[in-house]
Amino acid sequence: MTILEAAAAPYLKPLPSVQAAHRPFFDALRGHQFMVPRCDDCGDYNWVPYPACRSCLSERQTWTRVSGNATLYTYTVCHRGPGAFAAEVPYVIALGELTEQPRPCLILGNLTGCPPEDIRIGMPMKIAYQDIPSEDITLWRWIPASG
Amino acid sequence: MPFPRRQAAIVGIYTTKQGKIPDRTSFSLQLEAIKGALDDAGLTTADIDGLLPMSGTEHIPGTTAHQFWAEQLGERPLSLVETGGASGQLAKAAASIAAGLTDVAVLFFGRAGARTGPGGTAMPDRAPRVADDWSFATVGGYMTSWYAMWARRYMHEFHVSDADLAEVAVFTRYHATLNPDSVMGGKGEITVDDVLASRYVCEPLHLLDCSIDNDGGYAVVIASADLARDCRKKPVWVLGGAEAYYTDFYATINDPWFPNEGKAVRKATDRAFGLAGITRDEIDVAGLYDCFTITTVRNLEEMGFCKLGEGADYVKDGHLRLGGLMPTNTDGGLLSNSHCGDPSGMHTIEVVRQLRGECGARQVPGARIGVSLQQGWAVHGMASTLVMAAD
Repeated sequence: MTILEAAAAPYLKPLPSVQAAHRPFFDALRGHQFMVPRCDDCGDYNWVPYPACRSCLSERQTWTRVSGNATLYTYTVCHRGPGAFAAEVPYVIALGELTEQPRPCLILGNLTGCPPEDIRIGMPMKIAYQDIPSEDITLWRWIPASG
Repeated sequence: MPFPRRQAAIVGIYTTKQGKIPDRTSFSLQLEAIKGALDDAGLTTADIDGLLPMSGTEHIPGTTAHQFWAEQLGERPLSLVETGGASGQLAKAAASIAAGLTDVAVLFFGRAGARTGPGGTAMPDRAPRVADDWSFATVGGYMTSWYAMWARRYMHEFHVSDADLAEVAVFTRYHATLNPDSVMGGKGEITVDDVLASRYVCEPLHLLDCSIDNDGGYAVVIASADLARDCRKKPVWVLGGAEAYYTDFYATINDPWFPNEGKAVRKATDRAFGLAGITRDEIDVAGLYDCFTITTVRNLEEMGFCKLGEGADYVKDGHLRLGGLMPTNTDGGLLSNSHCGDPSGMHTIEVVRQLRGECGARQVPGARIGVSLQQGWAVHGMASTLVMAAD
């Protein structure tokens, strides 16, 4: 598992408010784990988290740790950015498809550690964690996985 | 029970100036548009008993747009309120009119001063907290970044190039040069090379692959058949229409992204054409929501004008250009005419103008049957289709 250098203060990019129902997810991030709701009844993973399983509408879902391994589904290199992101262009937004099945999870995240010209759809990636101590939150990113 | 064809007609349309309008408020543009569309129809505010406010319509915080306008129009007890995308709102209004819920409804939008794109947001002095925990704002995303990812995946799966997408911008700008009210028409035509040379916004989308971003307002009045026959202009009949939604805001898109059976645009379009009793090749003119070049290509496939993966070829074959099989976005669309924030009514308005024969240099000769498509709120996430005809 990769933990990136902690973000410097002040952190000026938008952050989640952390709704009560999502607290277990953000607490797990702090522990450098990535959790996805998994349906107790049909076994499907659900991303983005919803109050009921989107396959069978069961309200019995369990936050389930995933490996963090994924392949790159698609991406974009942003040359314009809003607010504090303006200072970071060019930056990469990527959708990673988790290896876990059933029901593939496509998770949005910034991709760092790979020159934009080397990015390839299908390349292996993994989740990395960044602590933001000044904001008492940990977020995730995508980084290339070796091999 | 089939859709009540020709029991409701679009009888009035109006567009304000589109572009930089620094000395006006959103409200003022909406009011101008409502009055203008009523005047076009030969009706008055006293005739309105239904409201179709666009979702982005500003009003007093804590109220809803239709409550605000019911009061503003003079303490009107309204019979009908429909929200959604313009084509869908008009379809629902047409069905409601035929069912007797209302006789005259007005669709309207106006925006001054705000911007849709990422530019112009100031550096904050602390991290803003967003209510949606999965918001793309936390990764520096915005609508362009989602359409760019959609384009990238589409290009990967179907071997389409950025030059192929650029063809959409080229024909759309050509149309704008024939529309004196368009924001970009006065700048002249562009080539594929011009599009590819314009700076990247979110790869693979260049600046000229993206819609513009400006102020403006518009309104559409729809009325029952009896009233329509007494209005000032020839009625543009609603033959059929439908809406469909498949997902939430830009948080994720579930696999598969390009299923053969299509998603919301396919559902709305199949239903609309089925209700109208019209086939795709009967369409003389189209207004298809074109926020990005990729959107036009995908619209064609999802609407069933061509097969999956063939949208770019359909454009390259010249079918959408004036003189082609199905002239589309003849006003210059969102790419070159105007994108005023919640602009889906503009595509419907241009089709109405074509069917009335009001388009001058950009008129499609003999246009009798047209279609407008609205989409948005996620890539193709919410869609509505309206099929119209004039006698």
